[in-house]
Amino acid sequence: MFFRRTSFTAVAAGVAAVLVTISLSTGVAGAATTTFAPVADTYVDNSATGTNYGTSGQLGVDNSPVKRMFLRFTVSGVSGPISSVKLRVHTDDVSGSESDSGGVFRRMSSTTWSETATTWNNQPSIDGATLGTLGSVARNGWYEVDVTSYVTGNGTYSIGVTSPSSNGADYDSRESGSGTAPQLVVTTGTSPSPSPSPSPSPGGDPVLVGAGDIANSGSGDSTTAALLDSIPGTVFTLGDNVYDNGTLSEFNTHYDPTWGRHKARTRPVPGNHDYNTSGATGYYAYFGSSAGDPAKGYYSYNLGSNWHVIVLNSNCSAVPCGTSSAQVTWLRADLAANTRPCTVAMWHHPRYTSGSNHAPNSSVAPFVQALYDANADLILTGHNHQYERFAPINPSNQLDNSRGIRHFVVGSGGASHYGFGTILANSEARNSDTYGVLKLTLRSNSYTWQFVPQAGRTYSDSGTTNCH
Amino acid sequence: MTSLRRRLIVTVLATVVLAGIALGYAALAPSAAAPAPSGVAAGSPLGSGPRLQVLTNGLLSTVTRADPGGPREVTAVRCDRAHAAAGTVACLTPAQALTATSLVVMDSALRPRTTIPLTGFPNRLRVSASGRMVAWTLFIDGHSYATTGFSTQTGVLDTRTGRTVKSLEEFAVTLDGRPYRNADVNFWGVTFTADDNRFYATLSTGGRRYLVEGDFAAGTVRTLRDNVECPSLSPDGSRIAFKAAIGADPAQGWRLSVLEVAGGRITPLAETRSVDDQPAWLDDRTVAYALQTGDGTNNTWSVPADGSGTPVLLVPGANSPAVLA
Repeated sequence: MFFRRTSFTAVAAGVAAVLVTISLSTGVAGAATTTFAPVADTYVDNSATGTNYGTSGQLGVDNSPVKRMFLRFTVSGVSGPISSVKLRVHTDDVSGSESDSGGVFRRMSSTTWSETATTWNNQPSIDGATLGTLGSVARNGWYEVDVTSYVTGNGTYSIGVTSPSSNGADYDSRESGSGTAPQLVVTTGTSPSPSPSPSPSPGGDPVLVGAGDIANSGSGDSTTAALLDSIPGTVFTLGDNVYDNGTLSEFNTHYDPTWGRHKARTRPVPGNHDYNTSGATGYYAYFGSSAGDPAKGYYSYNLGSNWHVIVLNSNCSAVPCGTSSAQVTWLRADLAANTRPCTVAMWHHPRYTSGSNHAPNSSVAPFVQALYDANADLILTGHNHQYERFAPINPSNQLDNSRGIRHFVVGSGGASHYGFGTILANSEARNSDTYGVLKLTLRSNSYTWQFVPQAGRTYSDSGTTNCH
Repeated sequence: MTSLRRRLIVTVLATVVLAGIALGYAALAPSAAAPAPSGVAAGSPLGSGPRLQVLTNGLLSTVTRADPGGPREVTAVRCDRAHAAAGTVACLTPAQALTATSLVVMDSALRPRTTIPLTGFPNRLRVSASGRMVAWTLFIDGHSYATTGFSTQTGVLDTRTGRTVKSLEEFAVTLDGRPYRNADVNFWGVTFTADDNRFYATLSTGGRRYLVEGDFAAGTVRTLRDNVECPSLSPDGSRIAFKAAIGADPAQGWRLSVLEVAGGRITPLAETRSVDDQPAWLDDRTVAYALQTGDGTNNTWSVPADGSGTPVLLVPGANSPAVLA
């Protein structure tokens, strides 16, 4: 209804988070503020339970009919300690937008609801603690809620708003334009920031860095190999190391001049293209003992004092993956014998992916179940040529912040780019047009991930999650 | 009553005034039998009137033709691809953990009429203008466009007779006037003509992608010309919208174009971004198609079919556009 074409054109062009202002705030010496616009906002209405209002210029909260509004912000590029975070919302400049209640603002665990698909029928749960409550609000005014306790660093945050009043309030949505869109105002001090690693171990935390779907006759693998040149640590691959058939000749021609520079510190994963050569003999001949037993292709090793790394073989027609297979039996025994608090596992075919070329793969479900049963932390895969990160999820792709495993698809190693299909639940970050590598800094009881893009590209994704 | 409510009513009234008498499936849904999964309630703020069907991140949805960027009705029906015409709604369901994809053909109230289990990953889907013929394309063997050696499977269902062709590769191929057989033959992107027998599609073999004309009853196809993919016949049957690989090389992307059936003149449309979609005609003057942003968000755009004008964002956050009424 109040669809403004120009602002949507910007969204369609991929402008996700709009940096509105970066300025020194007055009154707080040495502090800086950064203002973020929502990456998504919408409301739902129980009098039109199947209707989505994601493109509307307005947001409503009301108790009769019941309207709830949802806001999502992605905070990025903020360094140093955060001293305060304010959510600012602007009431619409139209008669009736005023209300005796501006609403109750609460945290939400879901950060992946869709702006254009959310309706009353499928709305995400407003399941977190109350952040603040606004009393009466007037037409055409700004109102502020302190969300400092919630927004503690870079990341994505959802806020849900309800109203106890049958006289609803109407706010301007992000589609109304930058002058009235909701804002998240993040204030940071400029005092020297603490070390990015709170308690670095002597010699620094171990680093795992790599990607899958890497080397062919094109130049994509050169751009990602150049990133490895300046990132120390253990290099992983996620399969489809070389195209099209995984022959030793292809390894020597395509892989060796690029990623091969880091072969001595590489622990590889085999993919389906590697197995286009029967038994993946090219793969095992090229990587030698680093790739484990050529009859298996699965193996594990430790990094630092707190991390266990498991490589699995998802080419299940060559090396079975079933619940009672030798591989899964080995996996469960390996996990049972592991005493390290943090575990990362990797293989080629993703259990969950939103890619449009390869569907989620249920053959690897026994891997995921065994890892979940053992409280593992991370799963890395490739196969779809793109980057995707999921929230911590259980084996059925349900959000699970206590025991869930974060799944990554890092098929961005250089072979080509694939598009996305239907975006799966709990998919938190995606990119389909940038080659790059995933850098994991393995801390004593947490990990920090960082997608490092090819030179000249800007897509990034980073964050930290504790082990469990 | 809040201002929002008043604005909604104004919108509804405007929609009704503009609407005429045509009804989309969503407007009929309240009379549907219990299992109908439509989320459209009586008194929908969208009102009645011509609608577009789209997928909103995989959920079957409708918007009004009058305000396609405005409020939308979002059902709980999940499809990876969808299309509709003349009261037939077709859906390729997403592959789940324990089930492969399937074709579900529904009536205008979204009641399933026919379900065909399929193997593969949904890619293209079309219903003929009469609502009788349904044609689909799947990626199979886990291969894809973007690497060499991908594979597709294209099938057709005649909803009137129940005849199902699981793969057009069963059909006899005439290439450049000669009978042709090759194991590398793949088909994708079918569009039927008004007689529900003749159709156009893409045939790929030997690294080339041909426009073919097929005869469903006879089980034959013949090549017409090179470098035409994902044809879509205009409502008046005179033109085919398609994607043309730039420099005949799909790795360079595709230019949305229109071919005149009589005479063969090709007009590139004003959309210069690479379009990897089977276009859909909104009317005899306008073509709609989906473009995807780097984060996987699909947006449906439209552009004049004669090469003039500029692309317009039609439905944000949506793909698989189809005219319902």
